[in-house]
Amino acid sequence: MAKNEEDKLINDVTNKEYEHGFVTDIESDTFPKGLDENVIRGISAKKEEPEWMLEWRLDAFKVWQTMEEPDWAHVKYKKPNFQDISYYSAPKQKPELESLDEVDPELLDTFKRLGISLDEQKRMSGVAVAVDVVMDSVSVKTTFQDTLAKKGIIFMSISDAIKEHPEMVKKYLGTVVPVKDNFYSALNSAVFTDGSFCYIPKGVNCPMELSTYFRINEEGTGQFERTLLIADEGARVSYLEGCTAPQRDENQLHAAVVELIAMDEADIKYSTVQNWYPGDKNGLGGVFNFVTKRAVAEKNAKISWTQVETGSAVTWKYPSTILKGDGAVGEFYSIAVTNNYQQADTGTKMIHLGNNTKSTIISKGISAGHSENSYRGLVSISPNAKNARNFSQCDSLLMGNTCGAHTFPYIEARNPTSHIEHEATTSKISEDQIFYCNQRGIDTEKAVALIVNGFGKEVLNKLPMEFAVEAQKLLEISLEGSVG
Amino acid sequence: MLKLKNIKASVEDKDILKGLNLEIKPGEIHAIMGPNGAGKSTLSSVIAGKEKFSVDAGEIEFEGEVINDLAPEERAHKGIFMSFQHPIEIPGVTTTNFVKAAVNAKRVAEGKEELTPGEMLRLIKEKSALLELDRKFLSRSLNEGFSGGEKKRNEIFQMAMLEPKLAILDETDSGLDIDALRIVANGVNMLRSPERSAIVITHYQRLLDYIVPDFVHVLYDGRIVKTGGKELALELEEKGYDWIKEEIDNK
Amino acid sequence: MSLEEKIISTFKQKNSKLAEVFNQAFELFEQKGFPTKKNEDWKYTSLKKLLKTDYSLVTEINNNIEAKDVEPFFIGADTYKVVLVDGFYNADLSHVDTDKITISSMQDAIENNAELVEKHFAKVADNNQEMVALNTISFNDGVFVNIPNNVILDKPIEVINIATGVLGDTLIQPRNLIVVGKNADAKLIERHQNISENTILTNSVTEISVGENAYYYHYKIQNDTEVSNLVDNTFVDQNRYSNAYVDTFAFGGNVTRNNLSFLLNGENAVANLDGISLLNKNQHVDNFTFVDHRVPNCDSNELYKGIYDDKSKGVFTGKVMIRKDAQNTKGDQQNNNILLSENAQINAKPQMEIYADDVKAAHGCTIGQLDDDALFFMRQRCIPLKEAKAMLMYAFASEALKNVKVEELKTQINKQIAQKLGVNIEFGV
Repeated sequence: MAKNEEDKLINDVTNKEYEHGFVTDIESDTFPKGLDENVIRGISAKKEEPEWMLEWRLDAFKVWQTMEEPDWAHVKYKKPNFQDISYYSAPKQKPELESLDEVDPELLDTFKRLGISLDEQKRMSGVAVAVDVVMDSVSVKTTFQDTLAKKGIIFMSISDAIKEHPEMVKKYLGTVVPVKDNFYSALNSAVFTDGSFCYIPKGVNCPMELSTYFRINEEGTGQFERTLLIADEGARVSYLEGCTAPQRDENQLHAAVVELIAMDEADIKYSTVQNWYPGDKNGLGGVFNFVTKRAVAEKNAKISWTQVETGSAVTWKYPSTILKGDGAVGEFYSIAVTNNYQQADTGTKMIHLGNNTKSTIISKGISAGHSENSYRGLVSISPNAKNARNFSQCDSLLMGNTCGAHTFPYIEARNPTSHIEHEATTSKISEDQIFYCNQRGIDTEKAVALIVNGFGKEVLNKLPMEFAVEAQKLLEISLEGSVG
Repeated sequence: MLKLKNIKASVEDKDILKGLNLEIKPGEIHAIMGPNGAGKSTLSSVIAGKEKFSVDAGEIEFEGEVINDLAPEERAHKGIFMSFQHPIEIPGVTTTNFVKAAVNAKRVAEGKEELTPGEMLRLIKEKSALLELDRKFLSRSLNEGFSGGEKKRNEIFQMAMLEPKLAILDETDSGLDIDALRIVANGVNMLRSPERSAIVITHYQRLLDYIVPDFVHVLYDGRIVKTGGKELALELEEKGYDWIKEEIDNK
Repeated sequence: MSLEEKIISTFKQKNSKLAEVFNQAFELFEQKGFPTKKNEDWKYTSLKKLLKTDYSLVTEINNNIEAKDVEPFFIGADTYKVVLVDGFYNADLSHVDTDKITISSMQDAIENNAELVEKHFAKVADNNQEMVALNTISFNDGVFVNIPNNVILDKPIEVINIATGVLGDTLIQPRNLIVVGKNADAKLIERHQNISENTILTNSVTEISVGENAYYYHYKIQNDTEVSNLVDNTFVDQNRYSNAYVDTFAFGGNVTRNNLSFLLNGENAVANLDGISLLNKNQHVDNFTFVDHRVPNCDSNELYKGIYDDKSKGVFTGKVMIRKDAQNTKGDQQNNNILLSENAQINAKPQMEIYADDVKAAHGCTIGQLDDDALFFMRQRCIPLKEAKAMLMYAFASEALKNVKVEELKTQINKQIAQKLGVNIEFGV
């Protein structure tokens, strides 16, 4: 590629503005900034929570106060002032809605612009998606609840679940990600305001994709959602989550916790398209995305994490799987794109505890602009995990020489029957590739798109159909028209 | 020399040999043919004692001794040699050093003295010349970077060095051009004697033009279903296996 | 008094041009002390247990070692021979009969080769590392080697570090400087040997400067006794068109930590790192490698093989940094491991930090077992299980011997491998 052409391309790519940066003009009910015990009591009261839940939160808050913000990740940022954040923000018209007609039209419009119009979704046949929408901190609407209820599937906001299914929440909350697991999981445990709860009963194959959309709207708010998903023995479910936030000059904090439990023979596929506001091209604003996601897979259960990460100013996220039961399978497929001044430190942990457990890690990082993109992963084989298998592949693609691509794999093997293979490569789009495409009549921009797409194919292919399209669209946005 | 009595063998709980009987007397050459998946390679592995294959019933008797429980090297010490379909590469260990180790291990097992380096060298020279083996191969890592033909010649060279009583050639001819095939066959024929026997497993009648068998067996579904002279091989080459399958399945 | 306090209390201000370096190192060590597991670079190796021993510090030269005590540890070839006893250069036992190159004690070099020493001393070594700072403030002596420009050295240099243990459990800290001139070509073999029953902790620092278009090979033979511990800190500074090789063969010893850094400061330089760790019992070997691509058009090749039996522990860190200006870098790294026992373990961290876009960088890491098919093949050829396993292990490891260019050394390494595996097989191609 000619130097000036390449520069132009990189320039185009790095100058693309965030397309989801609109503010939804809905009146909201927001707590004043600051965090102390009273705020936590306030959140709990607002949500009409039982006493045990409040106690749980207060314990978590005490733990959090003793902890320090971690700094081992390959990211640099100004640490958030936790007293300068509002910990509760809900759309005022918190609706008890029965049909979509009753949803605030403004909100519906928001979804339309996100490409996930509930309206359309509902009319779609065959590929129905049940959607839970978490706007700022509160779950707005869960669709298809009736259809799901017939199968015994529970899919509702976690606030409702605390009230309606306290025994289940009590039994599982914090069992996969303990409160004191890390600084942000402790914070989340103290202040989480909403999120999704899902239970698939024994042997049930969930008939549709379950989906949650998260959106931070209000200025100066943090979003701390909590997801708890339980697939009982032999159950199967595919779960999608999507995230967006409006453009703000200051950094917004998002610290979620996701816990997945796959009992014997269960199968959970968890897909994320993360497009939080990444900040502008000078690195101003954007979401700090500090997320703890973890799953436990019992005997012969399977957990598959797929993520397309294009947003956030700073990402710190390692969806992990504890392969506890014999024959459990863990998968992690990830594309992380960073541009401008974005920083991502993401990857996975595969903890092999059971015999004959198997894990696969495919991670694709694309860095452009002045961004830093790191893969960090752990494969751990415990002494008792006989015949454990892992295959990891981490590939990085660099666009321009002002960005960084890094890999930090940790491999810890304690059993002589284990078999681990780790491969990593870093490359750039070669001139030969571009020339070859040009020679076949494909212009350079298209060629780059083709190549980037091909680079990410192994992961894109893992996304549910309905999501794949959106993911491609996000890649487009993130790397400007260079992705076709 | 070798008696297989009602052998039932499986791999990973899948039954492959389902009651196989075979007797080989000193000096005889037996060819084993059969469609893919009939159990031909399992048969050779079972005789040589590959641990992945479990012998669930029956006896393997070699020179009057039941060898079911013997380790692969113990069987090899007694004179069973198996030529591998896919010879293994061992980087960093030269063919010469490998063969030295093999020959001396066998001699020690037989209660003989190890060969002196001079004697070993003479033996290697003599045998490699017979097989038209380039001396350069001998100083290269075992099978590493060898062509298919070179690997097979190396197998026959090792056989010549170890002078086995029973040689099992497991598809040694697959993928060889006619010159390589001739060299391999010559190597085998040179070892023929009234005391030595061989099992030749092959897909192609072609090899049997060079190594003429006393018997041809058809292995199908884990059993020997037909036995004949060398003319049976020609018939199989011409007509395929379907007629035999029909014959069996209709019974 | 803890070892740390002992060292700090014996530190004397030095009035040389190097005073500043010493003082800086002192400040750092006083502040940080020994590295702990909290330090990410020491995550998998703890010195805690080792530091419980009450080590004596060596203060004077021991002249009671005779040639016959040292003889068995040479490779048995025609070489230039250097012997350090408890960290002090021993001129009587060293045989360097040439005037083409300079080999002397480090103390001698500080006096008589001041210019060269000042140019290189503590320039490549990272004094921010605790163990390097420790050595800087408390080393007694070491070897200084200067290979002038255009000298193609006719035979390898052998450096044997003898630990006498006459003071009981001892901390030994050699400090070496090797300067290889432009267009020069040299090979050096380094070995540490404890000849006593006492516990030894060696904390060695070696700085190597490889001149333009020079070739330098450095072989580390780590086959010490079960009570010997080694922290080896080696830093290689490469100028343009230079080729440097460092091979680390860890068979013996108790706890070994190899900090090996390559700083590619000149274009078109090639760095080569190879290693074999062959461990059993309670051995612990940590190979911590760092390759810093600072300029364009350099290559680095790294191959480490590890075989771990019994309760042994292996650690491999392969840090490759490709800086912003280091375009057209080729970096390749392979780390392959075999675990033989249920109590053995391996921790691997192959990592890349890349800031330049026109690079080809890859790393691979595997953990596995011996191939059953290959074992069967060999047993079918009359070779008993133990020998068959040994051959496979040798086959697995031998690729990392490709840069051993001294025949007698290769023979010795092969013998050491056979010995370690308890077999009587003649290895080698």
